[in-house]
Amino acid sequence: MTDLKSLHEAVLNGNAGAAEAITKEALAAGVEPVRLVQDHMMPAMAEVGRRFEAGEYFVPELLLSARAMKRALVILRPLFAATGMPSAGRVVIGTVQGDLHDIGKNLVASILEGGGFEVIDLGTDVSPEAFLASVREKQPHIVAMSALLTTTMPAMRATIEVLQEAGVRDKIKVLVGGAPITQRFSDEIGADGFSESATGAVRLARELVAAA
Amino acid sequence: MTTDPARNCFNQAVLSAPRRLALPIAVYPGLALTGAKVSDIVTNPAAQVESQVALRERYRTPCVLSAMDLSAEAEAFGSTIRWSEGEVPTVTGRLVTDRAGVDRLVIPQPGDKRTAVSLEAVRGLRKLSGRPLVLGGCIGPFSLAARLVGVSEAMELTLTEPELMHALLAKSTSFLTAYVRAFREAGADGVIMAEPAAGLLSPRALAEYSSTYIKPLGESMADGHFALILHNCAARLPHLSAVLESGLHSFHFGAPMDLAAALAKVPSEVVLAGNLDPAAVFCQSTPEQVRFATAELLLRTLPFPNFVVSSGCDLPPNAKLENLDAFHHIVARQAEHGAAATPTPFSTQ
Repeated sequence: MTDLKSLHEAVLNGNAGAAEAITKEALAAGVEPVRLVQDHMMPAMAEVGRRFEAGEYFVPELLLSARAMKRALVILRPLFAATGMPSAGRVVIGTVQGDLHDIGKNLVASILEGGGFEVIDLGTDVSPEAFLASVREKQPHIVAMSALLTTTMPAMRATIEVLQEAGVRDKIKVLVGGAPITQRFSDEIGADGFSESATGAVRLARELVAAA
Repeated sequence: MTTDPARNCFNQAVLSAPRRLALPIAVYPGLALTGAKVSDIVTNPAAQVESQVALRERYRTPCVLSAMDLSAEAEAFGSTIRWSEGEVPTVTGRLVTDRAGVDRLVIPQPGDKRTAVSLEAVRGLRKLSGRPLVLGGCIGPFSLAARLVGVSEAMELTLTEPELMHALLAKSTSFLTAYVRAFREAGADGVIMAEPAAGLLSPRALAEYSSTYIKPLGESMADGHFALILHNCAARLPHLSAVLESGLHSFHFGAPMDLAAALAKVPSEVVLAGNLDPAAVFCQSTPEQVRFATAELLLRTLPFPNFVVSSGCDLPPNAKLENLDAFHHIVARQAEHGAAATPTPFSTQ
């Protein structure tokens, strides 16, 4: 009999090998995939987020936990092919054009995924047109943009304008974040939300999807 | 000659000053005065000197700085650099991905590639009249290692492959030790060493992966004059003890640090500087908001003579000169009038 508490522990402790092994073992024992995700992995990532916010976990711990969950999801994802993964919402995320810094974006993407969101990560240096193409193809609930440089912040405005001109702006919510971003800037460029922290971004994403 | 690192020239200048010193980390904003481009600053030592001369004439600052270009050291190791209009170059990709790659990594010499620009800029700054304190700028050992192996990857490797990170840190520290020495030989009175990535680690890991490597570097440079100033723009108050394990006596912190609380914890001979948000305050605020934010910080730190009011990080090229004007104006006013000069949020002075 698989001890599923150990899956929670494996994600919490960032042990990707254990998360993968326990997931395989649980599936072989007939445990429903959705139970593994919703009852064990998501609560583990919620605890990771809490510890991060409380200053008990830091960036390395968070990234390792996210990696452990991702390793398990690689096994589980094909099993949801028919019904789709249980999802809190779909998010297209990227670092804006001209900006190659990805750690903030990676943190938010990891916590979003841990919170049950389907995350489409476009990477860094993402042009407004690439964001638009992904919106058209993936039809996300949220577009999340990150910037570390003050000089790349205008690319957020440019992306929102491209989404507006293409007629898709009203169909999505836009989140912005990154070291130089402020609520004032978010308001100026017409974003729907801004968060100073990765965990705050996930709370905001949930609120925006719920309100949509 | 004393080798007490607490008695370095920077700390002595701060602790003996009759008024609060203001030292924003500002080289790139000088472009608005000289008409040069960012690409000039990171490739041409004369452009750095001209920028500093222009800012010094405007603000009468006691220190002059070489530019913070935290891609230069990784480029000297062999990292690929991306250049873009109006922005400091960025390291792309991962130069090393495994232990064998770390072992093969050749440690460059100070002066290789664009590290020569900063050293030459310091030589130029040393020739300025009035003998200002000349501070070079370089990256810290963990942040350099993170650029070589990838920043996100470095974070994970501190937990999954500590031996690899320590091997890489040995090489990054070896280069930086020689580089800091080269700054001194070029005429620098000190160096601001930027270690931003270390602030993302836990305090325990910061001590293990950053302070442990900075400590011997700092000890090797302690000569009773030379100042090694450690900048960490991501550290928070829980990191303070781990940062102090570096054994240095001069620190520069970013906006996340509670400076008043930090000043209350450190010995009086340790100098702390910081920490107005470079983007939110210097780029995005109005001069009135800058005056208020500066005055508020000055008020909170009023009891501490071992404090230097500064930006929380290197000011980007698009920091507004009118905001730097406002910053220096309120520091000067408070020096003249004390806390009574503190404006309210609605003041127009």
